[in-house]
Amino acid sequence: MNNAVPISPLQLAIAGLLIVATGGLSLALKLGLERSLAVAALRTVVQLSLIGYVLKWVFAVDSPWVLLVAMTLMIAAAAHAAIGRSKRSYAGIFERSFVSLFCSGLLTTFIVTAAIIQIRPWYHAQYAIPLLGMILGNGLTGISLALDALLEALSARRGEVEMELAQGATKWEAARAPLSEAIRRGMIPNINSMMVVGIVSLPGMMTGQILAGADPLQAVKYQIVVMFMIAAATALGCIFIALLTYRHLFNERHQLMWQLIKRRP
Amino acid sequence: MTSRPTAKSPLLIARELGVAAGGQELLVGVNFELRAGELVALTGPSGMGKTTLLRALCGLDEPTMGTVELENRTPAQWGYPAFRRRVLLVDQRPILFDAPLEANLRRPFEFHSARSEFSRERAVELLERVGLSATRLTQNARSLSIGQQQRASLVRALLLEPTVFLLDEPTSALDGEAVAEVEALIREELHRRSAAGLVVTHSAQQAREWCDRQLDVARWKLALD
Repeated sequence: MNNAVPISPLQLAIAGLLIVATGGLSLALKLGLERSLAVAALRTVVQLSLIGYVLKWVFAVDSPWVLLVAMTLMIAAAAHAAIGRSKRSYAGIFERSFVSLFCSGLLTTFIVTAAIIQIRPWYHAQYAIPLLGMILGNGLTGISLALDALLEALSARRGEVEMELAQGATKWEAARAPLSEAIRRGMIPNINSMMVVGIVSLPGMMTGQILAGADPLQAVKYQIVVMFMIAAATALGCIFIALLTYRHLFNERHQLMWQLIKRRP
Repeated sequence: MTSRPTAKSPLLIARELGVAAGGQELLVGVNFELRAGELVALTGPSGMGKTTLLRALCGLDEPTMGTVELENRTPAQWGYPAFRRRVLLVDQRPILFDAPLEANLRRPFEFHSARSEFSRERAVELLERVGLSATRLTQNARSLSIGQQQRASLVRALLLEPTVFLLDEPTSALDGEAVAEVEALIREELHRRSAAGLVVTHSAQQAREWCDRQLDVARWKLALD
């Protein structure tokens, strides 16, 4: 698959002209975007270059331990991003977000590399890291939406949950509806994107493979695997975060400890 | 199953209860008993902890100290869901789901702690007693007026046949005639099933004429420095 057209520094510089032109347009139209555009473009170059070198090194070393560290860092960053967007929070939310992404991410990565693509060993960094990256990028959105929905139901609409508890519901019976609603909310963007994939947009990974010279039909097969993998990982991640949050916010006396939920300032 | 105590033995006993809300202690040294067939008014100014006390009595919140017992067993001994089924809290603000009224009334019978089957005939009978016709069963509960919702939520509680009713201002959204109907119905139920009731009310007349005796929370108010 090495028939990609190599890109020289000169060619990159020409691509940079696109940004310069966009900046000029912003100046001419007084959009006031020049500064942020420049910073964003610079960050793109620096961040991607750095990650390029890191990946090159990780692939070269190809040690399971280095891979584990890299994956843990990726998961921690995703876990942090997942909780950063929700309106409500509780102490210990990061740990639970991390565990959810760790379990769902590693499990699906393992299934794809070991059972579907059949890489030996399954933790070959060149495959595991990009796959995990795609899983985390989608999984964190799902977790973030699921958390938002669940914490909203258990605080803003806690009267409904407590009324059921008051009528003799177990904590599981009272939490069932909010839990399934939260998992549903986390899954919806994913299902929507599976509905329109290929019609509205070509997924980035498939586009990348085609640009790199792969046969489109081969790229499509990879993309199908990836879409299914992302759907499964997002579902698992949402289920994990919902159950972990449920276990934390209800005690063994079947009481809802809504006081633990804090509104983000 | 334990046998139901004889007519005048206490059903519910609160011993040295303390309750807090929002990290602030509100009441301490709460001691009282509710006996079979009796209806007791819980009175006192707003914000003093009456609702908080009801929540602790049914085990929805944990008291800061002391114990509650129903027929000589604590909530932990009953199991909290089974305890709450028997010591039933009826919120002042009726909470009904966005579904037909019948589905709302049926819902608690789906819980594991349910002790009987939902009876549509009984539901119709109770609804009619409080001035709601059987046709309401198919109507979305949220489309009922607030007064109708309060009566519907009371019917839901009556269908569950608890041993002790904890009623938080059960007639606050009702007009004169409906109040009389609800008062009569609750009285009748307590008598028929040897149940007991503790009712929060701000009406001195209701406390005096409807209830057997009054408990004023002011006496358990935590002395502030």
